Amino acid sequence: MNGAVPRALEDGLRLAMPFVAALLVGAVLLAITGRDPFSTYAELFNEALGGPSRIAATLTAATPLIFTGLATAIAFRAGVFNVGVEGSFYLGGLTAAWVGFAWIGLGGTLQMLAALGFGALVGGLWMLLPGWLRARLEVDEVVTTLMLNFIAIGIALWLVNGPLLAAGSANSATPMVVPEARLPRLMPPSTLNAGFLIGLAALVIYGVWLRLRVGGFENRLVGLNPRFARSVGISVSSVILLAIVLSGVIGGLGGATHALGVVGRFSEGFSPGYGFTGIAVALLGRNRPVGILIGALIFGALTSAGTTVQLFADIPLDLVQVLEGTVMMLAVVEAVRWVRRRRAVGAAAP
Amino acid sequence: MPDVDGPITRLGADGISRRFGSVVANDGIDLAVRAGEIHAIVGQNGAGKSTLMRIFQGLDRPDEGQVIVDGRPVRFRGPADALAHGIGMVHQEFMLADALTLAENLILGAEPGRRGIIDRRAALDRAGQLADQAGVDLDWGQLAGRASVPDRQIVEILRLLYRGADTLILDEPTAVLAPSQVDRLFGLLRSLRQGGHTILFISHKLHEVMALADRVTVLRQGRVITTIDVDAVDQDALAQLVVGETVEPPHREAGEGGGGIVLDVAGLTVAGPGDRPALDQVSFAVRAGEILGVAGVAGNGQEALIASLIGLVRPSAGRMTMQGDDLAGLTVADHRAAGIGYVSADRAGEGLCRQATLTENAIAGEHRALAGEAKGWLMPGRCKRRARTIVDRYQVVHGGLGRPVAELSGGNQQRLLIGREIDRSPSLVLIAQPTRGVDLKGIAAIHRELLAYRQRGGAIVMVSEELDELIALSDRILVLCGGRSMGIVDRQDASTETLAPLMVGAAAA
Repeated sequence: MNGAVPRALEDGLRLAMPFVAALLVGAVLLAITGRDPFSTYAELFNEALGGPSRIAATLTAATPLIFTGLATAIAFRAGVFNVGVEGSFYLGGLTAAWVGFAWIGLGGTLQMLAALGFGALVGGLWMLLPGWLRARLEVDEVVTTLMLNFIAIGIALWLVNGPLLAAGSANSATPMVVPEARLPRLMPPSTLNAGFLIGLAALVIYGVWLRLRVGGFENRLVGLNPRFARSVGISVSSVILLAIVLSGVIGGLGGATHALGVVGRFSEGFSPGYGFTGIAVALLGRNRPVGILIGALIFGALTSAGTTVQLFADIPLDLVQVLEGTVMMLAVVEAVRWVRRRRAVGAAAP
Repeated sequence: MPDVDGPITRLGADGISRRFGSVVANDGIDLAVRAGEIHAIVGQNGAGKSTLMRIFQGLDRPDEGQVIVDGRPVRFRGPADALAHGIGMVHQEFMLADALTLAENLILGAEPGRRGIIDRRAALDRAGQLADQAGVDLDWGQLAGRASVPDRQIVEILRLLYRGADTLILDEPTAVLAPSQVDRLFGLLRSLRQGGHTILFISHKLHEVMALADRVTVLRQGRVITTIDVDAVDQDALAQLVVGETVEPPHREAGEGGGGIVLDVAGLTVAGPGDRPALDQVSFAVRAGEILGVAGVAGNGQEALIASLIGLVRPSAGRMTMQGDDLAGLTVADHRAAGIGYVSADRAGEGLCRQATLTENAIAGEHRALAGEAKGWLMPGRCKRRARTIVDRYQVVHGGLGRPVAELSGGNQQRLLIGREIDRSPSLVLIAQPTRGVDLKGIAAIHRELLAYRQRGGAIVMVSEELDELIALSDRILVLCGGRSMGIVDRQDASTETLAPLMVGAAAA
């Protein structure tokens, strides 16, 4: 146990630091524009967490970020920077929506499980190519996964405007998922759904895998020092391939829960960049389960506050965007440090 | 300049103390390096040599005491201050810009010329002058990245002279050199002394100190034990001063490596970066209970040999057979499963994972076997027990099994690494530079472990740049030059005289 408590405290501070900095930047802006930062923040806080329905909205907004943050973290831990979670999220969502409205023959729960499973499967398969390229040929995964995002979004848009377009619908959207295949709501009338619980379960499984399973052990060692891992007999290329594909599976599962739990279909603009926010969540959460959860909740709170704050309170949406932007910027600092570390380890290799 | 009797102190320490937390790195150090002498500083890892040198360099400041230059106290705020006082340091890692020529590296930061135009002729003239003075011959137009290690080192030294340094601090300068190259460096240092330069020479290798230095200062646990004339002491007495107690030479059982053949290598060839193979048609066999030493000037195929024997590099031709199975071309996991252990020369970069804990490092490689009995679960208790066994058995001093390995001293890291590989009772261990950067006491402990393993019937292939080590431990010594085998020398014939000609490519007699 020695050292565990200070480490948790240090991690907590590191996680809080960007958000505190963001609040300070926002406070300066508010003061300049002649508003009282304290009352504004109090209102913002109230919008995000004041009462059960607001909390439910925050948890709902955090759910996709739990998945994309976790997906990014799995790859990070193996020393892989997967920027392609957004693409897996899109395709996983589209697949789940399709299973959810088309495979009516399965019926009820089975159809829902099939939709989740196939969404995850497609998300994982999507990462097979960049995973193989990185593992076998050492092609930089940042480039390939980023490019694949555009292709994934293009494919999805083409499908929802053509073969999968809902009959009689003018906008780019699939038909609605049948009610039996949708994820159960946890706190009606809010949209909080079982996807949140699936996300929590995934985090727990991830934590256990990382600490206690051979696969997680090898994943961590490859991420810390690939030369070391190779010299003790770990197949670095298989570990990397597995990490990227698992990352895609979780991204796809995230998209599936979003389609089945919140949207009820797949439509244009399915993700407002959950995959990219997930990178910030993983970085700020230091790739640890609890860190990812906290990071996702904070971003979720900002998002849910942002959507209503303009309607009911006299707070400009720009403030929320400034806060998000500042946090993102500090996450990028973390990303640069991560890449440097990786390069330092790589440079030691012959 | 104070007018005192006796030689002037060019560089010195007056009661210097430096603490890091509870660790006292330097404890009231008094030192006086005379102008125009070669002064050696010896001591074990952690004796306080590096801290003192950092203070002399202006990289660190003493908590108490003063640095003395030319008999007077000074305060260095940084390396530039030290250099302004004529004191420069040659580090273990060279700091040359690979993409520039040697001449450009020489003048980098103090280019001759005016209005931003470099006067290249003046630079080359000055370079030639310095080289003549130092009695060395260099191709100044060569890119630093292509230059040999000794040439790069010499440019480092000349660069300090170019910048006006007349007092040089050299930190383990021979660690990167082959025996023949050491002579060239020593020649250069002697001619610098002739020219009135002062040299502070830090080394683990006592025979080098005996050969080169005028006086030697022994540090132990942050204190000066003594400063003596080298002529007044012999190497054994010096070793005793360094360690503080008698070092038993490793007891080596006389028994011949009489067991059956463990590893049979035939025509092993590894492709090199250029046209020439890194390893060229090498054949040998290793028996149970035998240590096969591998000698050679650094970069003559030792790395390729070890890397292909553990499976990190796929040989382009040849066989390596263990118990009838040809392992050539298989993975590291296959090689390890066949009973091979591997102690990397790059302890911190490959042999161990610095950020991972002692436990994680201790079970790595064995983790699948450990988890195999529990359906893929790595039970923390079981892992810890395994780690504790290794740590206890190989006397690794540590601050907790859950702490990162980076916190261990070099000697303890090496004991952990060797312990991890040997404790699994493999039938063969490949070991490269077993005692690099380890202090005398640590070396003795490691040698004991290797010999004990041999006594139990283990086979070892050992690459080392220390000929003394190879000669002391090996049953037979394979000599590599240019990737080829120059022959295998039996123990009774092995000596520096018989090995050195083979190492530089002279045909075996």
